[in-house]
Amino acid sequence: MGPVIQAVGLTKRFPAFKNPPGFKEWILKLPNTFRSGSRPTFTALDSVSLSVKKGECVGIIGKNGAGKSTLLSLLLGTSYPSEGTLHVEGKRTPLLELGAGFHPDLTGRENVYIAAVLMGLTRAEVDGRIQDIIAFSEIEPFIDAPVRTYSNGMYLRLAFSVALHTDPEILLIDEVLAVGDESFQRKSEAAILSRIKSGVTAVFVSHNLEAVKKIAHRAVWLHKGKVREEGEPEAVVGRYSRFE
Amino acid sequence: MTWQFSNRDLQRKFDLLALLSHKEFALKYKRTTLGILWSLFNPLLTALVFFVAFKVFMRFKMENYTFFLLTALFPWSWFSASVIISSRSLVDNVTLIKKMIFPRHYLIASVILAQMVHLVFSVPILLVVAAANGSVPSPLWLIAIPIAMAVQFAFTFGLSLAIAICNTYFRDIEYLVGVFMNLLFWMTPITYPMTAIPERYRPLALLNPLTSLMNLWRSIFIHNTIAWGDLGIASLMAAISLTAGFMIFRRLEKRLDEVL
Repeated sequence: MGPVIQAVGLTKRFPAFKNPPGFKEWILKLPNTFRSGSRPTFTALDSVSLSVKKGECVGIIGKNGAGKSTLLSLLLGTSYPSEGTLHVEGKRTPLLELGAGFHPDLTGRENVYIAAVLMGLTRAEVDGRIQDIIAFSEIEPFIDAPVRTYSNGMYLRLAFSVALHTDPEILLIDEVLAVGDESFQRKSEAAILSRIKSGVTAVFVSHNLEAVKKIAHRAVWLHKGKVREEGEPEAVVGRYSRFE
Repeated sequence: MTWQFSNRDLQRKFDLLALLSHKEFALKYKRTTLGILWSLFNPLLTALVFFVAFKVFMRFKMENYTFFLLTALFPWSWFSASVIISSRSLVDNVTLIKKMIFPRHYLIASVILAQMVHLVFSVPILLVVAAANGSVPSPLWLIAIPIAMAVQFAFTFGLSLAIAICNTYFRDIEYLVGVFMNLLFWMTPITYPMTAIPERYRPLALLNPLTSLMNLWRSIFIHNTIAWGDLGIASLMAAISLTAGFMIFRRLEKRLDEVL
């Protein structure tokens, strides 16, 4: 079976941040505004290639600013590479910023519907799963209250639960393995592991090196936008911690 | 609102658009006391303001002026509120755009659909005013109103797509939109009839896409007919707006993550 994620030479450049151009400047430079020619740029990711097989779990490690989150957002498709190609087969489920789609004034239930449909379910399918989602999140009594009244933990638990119940095929996880209190953390970790065991592919970014060693089948060490090392998690994590 | 599709993907897209529109609408009045009643009061109060301005203070001499005014003012309000609000809809949904994958233009469509509720609410008001003026609404309204709405939706959608995506690059645009809308309002025959424009400038007035659209609405409400000429021009403008809007949106959307 071919890889479900095939990225070749992914490069992502951002315009180097100066004062944002105002309307005045835009009018003056109208002819070349939409050409990205010679403007100063910052390279966040520099020709990174990555291939992930179905059911594989890849852990991405690296220091802050190494390009880990940029890589994840490229894989997810919320951002387009400046160069390189990316092929992804299957539905991508983000566990990036939990509760990104939540609106504080809507109730937990209303937010669950919106978030779940955003992540690929139909409304009828959410009807069938809402009980499981609520049960897993352990916030039953508050589900019809606006989420602005939730504690941070409740909010994250609900968001995590929604994502988990949308039949993920490829999970893209950014440092969210630590959600809620200790018992919920164990529960969420177990839930992710069982998804991976049942064939869900996962790419996750973490500073938690122990988690990488425990969960990942392969580790990728990003350094200054490039892949510095890739391979068996124990070995890569070992060299990474010595390097630090 | 639910609708059954046999195709799952289509069903999901429909559900997503319906949920986003509902969210947009529900949030509007979420923390108000009167809630959805505002959708009825809003057009009523706007109408009142114009009635007082033109009928009481300026003493406009025109028969059935209130009805005449409202037949264009309500569709205009839908248009202008949609464009103004949706100009911020990408900027305001940064987290959604950066962390979720879904068709971004749904955000803009949902604003226009949520605003459409006002127009739907204002039709009963028009019925009452029409009855007070002694004119009888014809069954034609049932077909003609949805057609006019569809044309106006397409036009508004195209324009809003372009404005919203450009606003992510230059936030100055949302401030210009308000001013521009004001100008457009007075350039369009809304408070005055088409006949108030000197005859030789009328073809020029038709270059303003809102002119034919407003004429179309008035032909339906006031004369119980469909002005086919105006419908043709308005549809053409709508097609151009939609095509251009999508082209600009598709092009600039690729770098959305860099500018938000």
